[in-house]
Amino acid sequence: MIKITNLEKFYRTEEVETIALNKLSIEIATGEFVAIMGPSGCGKSTLLNILGMLDDPDAGSYVFNEIEVAHFTERKRADLRKHNIGFVFQSFNLIDELTVFENVELPLIYTGVPSSERVKRVEEVLDKMQIMHRRNHYPQQLSGGQQQRVAIARAVVNKPKLILADEPTGNLDSSNGNDVMELLTDLNEQGTTIIMVTHSEHDARYSHRIIRLLDGQSVMENIMV
Amino acid sequence: MIKNYIKIAFRNLWRHKSFSMINIIGLAVGMTAGFLIFMYVKFELSYDKYHENADEIYRVVADIKTPTETLNWSSTTAPLGPAMQADYPVVKANTRIFNFGFLVQSNDNKFQEDNIVLAEPSLFKIFTFPLIKGDVAKALEAPFSIVMIETAAKKYFGSADPIGKSLLLDGKYPATVTGVMEDIRPNSHFKFNMLVSLSSIEKMVPGRLSQWGNFGNYTYLLLPKGYDANKRQAQFPAFFNRHTTDADRKQGMNYAYFLEPLKDVYMVSKRGAPESGNLSNVYIFSIVAIFILLIACINFINLTTARATERAKEVGIRKVIGAERKQLTIQFLSESVIICLISFVFSGLFSFLFLPLFNKLSGKVISQSIFEHGYLFELFLISCAIGLIAGTYPALVLSNFKPIATLKGRFSSTTKGILLRKGLVIIQFTISIVLIVGTLVVYNQLSYMRNQALGFQKDQMVTISFNGDSAVQKHADIIKNELKRIPNVLSASASATIPGFGNSVAYTEVENHLGAMQQLNMNLYDVDYDFIPQFEMKIVAGRAFSKAFGTDTTKAIIVNEAAVKSLGYLKPADAIGKRYAQWGRDGKIIGVVKDFHFQSLQETVKPLNMRVNPRNTEVFTLKVSGKNLPETISAIQNKWKILAPERPFNYVFVDETFNKLYTTEVTFGNLFLYFAVLAIFISCLGLLGLASYSTLQRTREIGIRKVLGASVPGIVNMLSKEFLLLVIFSATIAFPLAWYGMYKWLQGFAYRINISWWEFAVAGILALIIAFTTVSFQAIKAALTNPVKSLRSE
Repeated sequence: MIKITNLEKFYRTEEVETIALNKLSIEIATGEFVAIMGPSGCGKSTLLNILGMLDDPDAGSYVFNEIEVAHFTERKRADLRKHNIGFVFQSFNLIDELTVFENVELPLIYTGVPSSERVKRVEEVLDKMQIMHRRNHYPQQLSGGQQQRVAIARAVVNKPKLILADEPTGNLDSSNGNDVMELLTDLNEQGTTIIMVTHSEHDARYSHRIIRLLDGQSVMENIMV
Repeated sequence: MIKNYIKIAFRNLWRHKSFSMINIIGLAVGMTAGFLIFMYVKFELSYDKYHENADEIYRVVADIKTPTETLNWSSTTAPLGPAMQADYPVVKANTRIFNFGFLVQSNDNKFQEDNIVLAEPSLFKIFTFPLIKGDVAKALEAPFSIVMIETAAKKYFGSADPIGKSLLLDGKYPATVTGVMEDIRPNSHFKFNMLVSLSSIEKMVPGRLSQWGNFGNYTYLLLPKGYDANKRQAQFPAFFNRHTTDADRKQGMNYAYFLEPLKDVYMVSKRGAPESGNLSNVYIFSIVAIFILLIACINFINLTTARATERAKEVGIRKVIGAERKQLTIQFLSESVIICLISFVFSGLFSFLFLPLFNKLSGKVISQSIFEHGYLFELFLISCAIGLIAGTYPALVLSNFKPIATLKGRFSSTTKGILLRKGLVIIQFTISIVLIVGTLVVYNQLSYMRNQALGFQKDQMVTISFNGDSAVQKHADIIKNELKRIPNVLSASASATIPGFGNSVAYTEVENHLGAMQQLNMNLYDVDYDFIPQFEMKIVAGRAFSKAFGTDTTKAIIVNEAAVKSLGYLKPADAIGKRYAQWGRDGKIIGVVKDFHFQSLQETVKPLNMRVNPRNTEVFTLKVSGKNLPETISAIQNKWKILAPERPFNYVFVDETFNKLYTTEVTFGNLFLYFAVLAIFISCLGLLGLASYSTLQRTREIGIRKVLGASVPGIVNMLSKEFLLLVIFSATIAFPLAWYGMYKWLQGFAYRINISWWEFAVAGILALIIAFTTVSFQAIKAALTNPVKSLRSE
C-alpha cells in the first residue's frame, strides 16, 4: 500500500537546519498494523504527517496505492486524503462547538455524502464504538476515553483504507488506553491498515511490526509474533 | 454543508458572548450611523426629482451687471417668462411664481399666511403638483382664486368641502377656493400652503406684470427633452438688447440670463432658492459615514483575526478531515455575513429608534419611517456587502493555516498580522481624533458667531410683525406709545425689517470721494426715529435721525461704514453731506452708523443705508426688561388685541431670529458631534476587544512577572503602553489632516476663529484618556488576578 524511498525532510530556521527524515525508506503492505517508535525528535511525527499527506517531503518518493504523491498539490492531496485516510490524535482534536454526532458526521459532509446516508452511517459507527447514548453531547462533557472513541469513530466513518494514529493512548489512563487499542485491533482485523506512532512498548505489542527510528533513519524493525 | 456552517457560527457566537457582542454592537452602531447618513444624503440629492418633467425644467436666473459690480440673482422680472416663450418657439411653457403673504380670514378664523405663492395656470403644466379637487386648467385663472394644499384646507375648513368657499385676503380682497392639491413633498425647493392666482396681482398693483426693472419673482421654463440649454443661453444677450428698457440703458445696466436645470437649483446653485442645500455638507457627511463604517469594519477584522489563534485548531481538524481551503473560506465568509445580518437586525432596530432624533437633529423630515422607499432592503444589501468585504481578509487568513502547525499548537500570531492590527487601530484613532478636532472647531466657530459683538442690541428685544398693514402703519405712533405704557416694556420702534430678517436692496447713486455719482446696491432699512437708539447702534459720524429736522423723512439717509468704504472715503466724517439719489428720492447723507451684522457672519457686512419712512414699516420692536417675561408678553398680547384687532399677534425674539441664521451650522455641528462620539465609541469597542484579547494571551506572562515581583501598576503600565503609543501615533497623523480640513471649512465664513493649538491638545488628550480607560480596565483586571490561577490555566 505504501512505499517510501529515500525520503528527506528538513526544517530550517534562520540559523539552524534540522534534518527530520534522512533518506528513509519503508514499505507497508495493505492490512498491516505497524507501530513507529523512537525517542523524541527522531522524526516519527514528521513521517506520520508525510504519510498522511499533511506535509510534503523535500526529496524522495512516496507511492500511495501505486500513485506517486510526493509532489501532489495541496488540493490533490486533500482529495486523496479525505477518501483514503483517517486520523487519530493524542489530544483527540474534536471540534468543541460540534456535538459528538456532528463531529463524526463532518468527514461525510466534506466527501459529499447525502444527508440520509450520513445519519445512517454515523449512527452505525457510534453504535459500534458504544457511544450512541452520547451522540448529542459536546466533547467537553465527555471523559478522555469517550472523546478518543469519538475521534476514532470520526476517523473510520468514511471507511478509510489507512488509519494514522499519533500516540492515541497518550492522554488516557491504562484502562481506557487498552480499550482504544482493542478498537484499533478490531479495525485492523476487519482489513484496515493501521500505522501508529507510540512511546509505549505496551501499545506497540498490539502491532504486527515495529519500526524504530533514530535521527530520521530506520534503525531496527521487530516483527511481532 | 451550509447548515453546518451556520450551526457552528451560532455556537461560536454564543460561546464567546462578549466578543460577539462587541463585534455585533460595533457593527450595528456603525451601520446605523452610516445608514442614517445614507438616508440623509439620498434625501438631499432627491430634491425636485419627483417632477415628471424634472429633466426638462429650467429656472431662468440673471447676473445683474452694474458699472461697479455683478450680482448673481436667482429672481427675475415679471415680463421675462412670457417674452422668452414668445421669442423662442422651442420653449414649451413658462411659469412665474411670486412669494407672498396675506392675512387670510375665514369667518372668524384669521391667520397671517407668509407661505403663499402667486402662480399662473402653467404651474401645473410644468411641475407635478396633483390636484385632489378642482380643474387644473381653470383653478388659477380668475383673480383671487385659491388652491390650497390639503393640510391648509383642513386648517380652514375641517372636513367640509373647500371648493367654492370664500376667504378674505388682507381684510379687503374676497377670494374663492377653486382647488385642493396634495401637500408639497418635503424634497421640494419651494413650498407653499396655498396658491393665489397670479392675475390677482394686477388687481392689487396694476401694471406689476409688465415691469422689466423689478426683480421679484422666479421664472421656470419647460424645454424639450435633451435640449441643449447652453446653446440657448448664447442667444440671451440679443434677447436682452431687444427687451431692455430706456431706464436700464441709461443707468448702464446689463442683465445676463442663464438657464439652471431644476435638478441643480437646490443643491448646486450658488444663487439661493427658497430652500437650498449645501453640497459640501453632503460630501462631508458621506465621508463621515464611510469613515464610521470603515471603523466598524476594522473592528470586525481586528477582532476576528485576533481570535484566529482560537479558531486555528478547528481549521486544522477540518483540513485533516478533508476540508479544502475554498470550503473553509466560504465557511468563514458565511460566518461574517451571519454576524453582519445579526448586526443588520440590531441596526434596523436602532435606525427605527433614532430616526425621529435624527430628523430633529438634521432639521428636516428626511424620512417618516425606515420602512419606506425600500430603505430597509438597501440596508440589508449594505450589511451583506460589509460582511463580505470585512470578512474576506480574516477568511483568507484563517483558511490558510497549515494543519500540522495548528494541531501541534506551534502557532502564534504572525508579526505581519500584529502589524496589520496595529495599523488598523491607528486608522481608527486617526479618524476619531480628526472628528474630535473637527467637532471642537465647529463648536468654537458657532459660539464665536453667537457671541460676536453684532453692532446692535439683540437681547430682550421682541419683534411683533404686522406685515405692513396700512391700518396699523397709520397709527404706528399711537400704538408704540400704548405699548410702551405696559410695565417692563422699556422702548418701542417701528421699522421695515430687523437684523436677521431679509431686507430690500435699492439701486442707488451716491457721490463718491472723487465727487462723481457712483452706482451702488444698497441694503435698505426703512426705520423710524427710535430705531437707532433702541437697537443701540453707534453713530460714528454726523448724527442720527431727529424730529428736529423736518427734512429727515424726505431727504436724509444714514449709511454704514461699508458704504463709506465702497465710496472711497478715508474716514466716515468725509461722507457727511454727500449727495445721493435712490428710488425717486434724493438728498444728503446725514450720518454714518457703525457696521452692524444684518446678515449671518458668513457674509461680510455690505453697504447699507437707513431712511425714515413711516409708510413702509412692517414690524414693531419692543425692548423689554428681563423680569417676568411671560407676564410681559401676555400683557403685550392683550394690548395688541385692542390696538390692532384685525392683526394676529405674531412675535419673535430678535436674538432667536438672528441665531436662526445659523440653523444649518448648528445642525452641522450637532450631527458632527454625534457622529464623532459614535466613531470614538466604536473605536473604543474595538480597542476593548483587542486589549482584552491581548491580555488574555499574556495571562501566563503576567503570572510569571507577578511571581518574579512585578507590581500591579507596573503590569497595567506594561499592558497599556503599547496601545497608548498607537493613539499617540494616530494623533500625529490626525493633526495635520484635521487642521487642513477645518481650515478649508472655516474659509466659508467671512468672520471666523483661528484654529488654535489647544483644540488639538484637547482632542489628543481626550483620545488618550478614553483609550487608557478602555485598556486599563482590562489591564487592571489581569494584573489583579492571582498568579497561581493564571499559571495553572496554561
